[in-house]
Amino acid sequence: MSMQIFNEQATEEKAENARLASFVGALALGDLVKSTLGPKGMNKILQSGSTGEINVTNDGATILKAIQLDNAAAKILVNISKVQDDEVGDGTTSVTVLSAELLREAERLINRKIHPQTIVDGYRIASRAALKALEEAAVDNRSNEEKFREDLFNIARTTLSSKVLSQDKEYFANLAVDAVLRLKGSVDLEHIQIIKKVGGKLTDSYLDEGFILDKSIAVNSPKRLENAKIMIANTSMDTDKIKIFGARLKVDGTGKLAELERAEREKMKEKVDAIAAHGINCFVNRQLIYNYPESLLAEKGIMVIEHADFEGVERLSLVTGGEIASTFERPDLVKLGKCEVIEEIMIGEDTLIKFSGVAAGEACTVVLRGSTNQMIDEAERSLHDALSVLSQTVKETRTVLGGGCAEMLMSCAVEEAARNVQGKKALAVESFARALRQIPTILADNAGLDSSDLVAQLRAAHFSGKKDGGLDMDQGTIGNMRELGVTESFKLKSQVVSSATEASEMIIRVDNILRAAPRRREGA
Amino acid sequence: MASKSTPSTSSRPNFTGVNAAFKDKGKPMELRLSNMVAAKAISDAVRTSLGPRGMDKMIQTSKGEVIVTNDGATILKSIQALHPAAKMLVDLSAAQDVEAGDGTTSVVVLAGSLLGAAEKMLEKGIHPTIVAESFLRASAKAVEYLEEISTPIVSQYSSTLAPIAVDAVSRLVTPTSSNVDLRDVRIVKKVGGTIEDTELVEGVVLNQTCVAAAGGPTRMEKAKIAIIQFQLSAPKPDMDNTVVINDYRQMDKVIKEGRQYLLNLCKKIKKANCNVLLIQKSILRDAVDEIALNFLKRLNIVVVKDVERDEINFLSKSLGCKPIADIDAFTEDKLGYADLLEEREDNDVKVVRITGIKNRGRTVSILAMGSNSLVVEETERSLHDALCVVRCLVKKRALIGGGGAPEIHVSRLLSQHAQSLKGMEAYCFQAYADALEVIPTTLAENAGLNPIAIVTELRNRHALGERNAGINVRKGLISNILEEEVVQPLLVTTSAIELATETVCLLLKIDDYVQAR
Repeated sequence: MSMQIFNEQATEEKAENARLASFVGALALGDLVKSTLGPKGMNKILQSGSTGEINVTNDGATILKAIQLDNAAAKILVNISKVQDDEVGDGTTSVTVLSAELLREAERLINRKIHPQTIVDGYRIASRAALKALEEAAVDNRSNEEKFREDLFNIARTTLSSKVLSQDKEYFANLAVDAVLRLKGSVDLEHIQIIKKVGGKLTDSYLDEGFILDKSIAVNSPKRLENAKIMIANTSMDTDKIKIFGARLKVDGTGKLAELERAEREKMKEKVDAIAAHGINCFVNRQLIYNYPESLLAEKGIMVIEHADFEGVERLSLVTGGEIASTFERPDLVKLGKCEVIEEIMIGEDTLIKFSGVAAGEACTVVLRGSTNQMIDEAERSLHDALSVLSQTVKETRTVLGGGCAEMLMSCAVEEAARNVQGKKALAVESFARALRQIPTILADNAGLDSSDLVAQLRAAHFSGKKDGGLDMDQGTIGNMRELGVTESFKLKSQVVSSATEASEMIIRVDNILRAAPRRREGA
Repeated sequence: MASKSTPSTSSRPNFTGVNAAFKDKGKPMELRLSNMVAAKAISDAVRTSLGPRGMDKMIQTSKGEVIVTNDGATILKSIQALHPAAKMLVDLSAAQDVEAGDGTTSVVVLAGSLLGAAEKMLEKGIHPTIVAESFLRASAKAVEYLEEISTPIVSQYSSTLAPIAVDAVSRLVTPTSSNVDLRDVRIVKKVGGTIEDTELVEGVVLNQTCVAAAGGPTRMEKAKIAIIQFQLSAPKPDMDNTVVINDYRQMDKVIKEGRQYLLNLCKKIKKANCNVLLIQKSILRDAVDEIALNFLKRLNIVVVKDVERDEINFLSKSLGCKPIADIDAFTEDKLGYADLLEEREDNDVKVVRITGIKNRGRTVSILAMGSNSLVVEETERSLHDALCVVRCLVKKRALIGGGGAPEIHVSRLLSQHAQSLKGMEAYCFQAYADALEVIPTTLAENAGLNPIAIVTELRNRHALGERNAGINVRKGLISNILEEEVVQPLLVTTSAIELATETVCLLLKIDDYVQAR
């Protein structure tokens, strides 16, 4: 006899079914992003269902964010890739693929009637062993500045080689390292501004010190300014109105109306005088500036920039050290921004304003050029990944080797550890090692290489003591990763392993999926 | 199109058969093929408009407007491409437009041909990333070869390019400048006359005509020009207001005061010795009303109204005057001086010209004429392209021949280079080299010549050492293209090759299509 316990539309999936559902979902997701992994990874087209806009990317996080899912386990994977994106900025595909592989192994074990909790225990032991091995293999070049820069450069190159920028990775790696080193240890990527302009080719992109604002300087203002004192304001420069609805004036003649108009102008003039009294020579307003105040300011030799929207104003205030002002009675209280030169520059067909020699020396701008919008967007994502990995590496300076080397290293260490594990757990530990080996396998597969052969060779190399061995994707052979300079951040790798393990554990433990009844809509 | 897609469908089983690594990758291959079919359809659509004998397309927009053009960028912009890959080609042509301004058709045709080559490579079982990488390397090599044969520019070449565009741009250029802002060239479009009436004006041409409603003057010698940004109409504060009138006498007073107010404004303008007024358009109230016009007529001041705000920058720069935003700031030093302002009727069109301007800025006006708006629009587009081409020369001061000569040259050198390579790369280089031949082939096709005969002869001539041999479309034979003075800036060709290759590689690397939110 069955009894209705749940709400009518709520559903429940139990034990086998629940596990099956979550495994299927997670595996499908893993397979979806699998082909984007590595330097020979493929791109995906994402087309928005509502607007029809297209997006070409091989960034795991971007793909996962965009797809619609109706599977609880798959959503967990999307989440960990997001966390990876926030924490380290790159490795979003790796983390998804690794957890999918861990789940694939777990599924096999469960089919062999091993209890999920035993698998979880085994995975725990394995991940500890893996992380320990990773830590031992990590190299720290913090003390040697020259070597550290080389490390950063290598990391940037490795990150970029799996992205759209791979052809020009040397160029962009240098660009990214320069940008990050300007930050002097801060991880605040706000200081690095990325401006995208269609046209030109990717290598026409460049790094520029200072800040570029995509606006134009008003008519009549000086077009170039040295030793600028900048006031950044958010104030209405059309007319100061009484903000009471329905306020109106009653007069009995046109003359009075003219007087009123004059009075309004006088008021504006006072405001302009108050602004000019701050001793500035550049005035940037978030809102628009009418012709009248504009010409008044221009007469006083002040450069006027209107309509510098929220983001522009805030960034400008950040980099020039000025505060955003909206009242002008007390010049002593307003902090002005400073920079050495303001000038107009041309990028493609557009004129922009460049602030160079700004107060915040770490500020810089990357101007990205490329043939299509999709290209530039993807380039921005790639560059952003590289920048965030680099800025994390500046904090956590240890590095490990890429090209499947770190994974194989961990896999070997885990296999060693499995020998000393008693009971059924040992099977799970071995599975973990197998899952780790899947990463180099996929790398080789994507490049169209013979994966089984290469991975077997790689494994043999590691067991025979060549700890620097990895996949040389250009030659399609096993190579020495340290000599090739394929380096990755330690934080990235350890984060990938630990969050993939955690996520898969979480999914393995699931034995029941409850779906709450959808909220009733009125009239539905 | 149909004939093109059949071979690929029939040979599809090959993809899975040749290379075992592709066994389970049917879907990516399907997708890649669908991308290629779509992209090639786009490229075929514009193909017939390439070259001097290219055909025009008539486009009817969703609003029912008709555009007749053979400018690739314009055609593609108007096609509402749905397929994602097709959209990328549209973007590609827009990017070429930004970068070089011309060659928007060639870039798309080239991309289509490269995709065709890539498809053949995939059929051979070569991995798409290898194809993509080899293509990128090939394009770098191609650009290298092009730079080798380019001749640095000397001023005497300018006569061989369209004079108007050259004059226009050279007027903006200082010897040191590395770029030109084309917004400093203004093209004023007027319907009337023929294309031959298009001219470069010494001075400024206005979009607007003089206001003649009140019978004001339309010609002014020794013009003193002011651009005003305030209005000559009844006062209107920004607050809501009502004028309360209680009796008849008061009404009289209101009217009188209104007149007095306007008269005062006009007198102040006259006092500053101004005799030409350009009035900015206002959305809040009338820029100038009838009464004010009447006063201005009596004071013998020419009035031009409806000047847009974004024109102000150009006008003040070229007239050497400063815009005036308030009557109190109306002083003589803000005015611009010109020997003559005149509204003339050429071919039934009224055109206001300002000539003999003192303190002229580095700006240029071009008056584009044509018998109907379609022709005028097309003239404008062609002029814009020509301007861009000349600008390219400022950016990168080197020229190469046209008429398919550089493409054949590069193609020949690339296939020679391919023979020195090993492995898959050699195949890809060869395919790339063959794909470049699409430009001369299409040129010949569009000119009604026999493409195979022409291209093979061209190849032969190049092999015999005539590097400058190209297709002389007008005469329909092969000749030394530099002697025919068919030249183009290096930048147009290099950027077409680079941009097309970049896009093709991006397309090749796509293996899945995900419907997103």
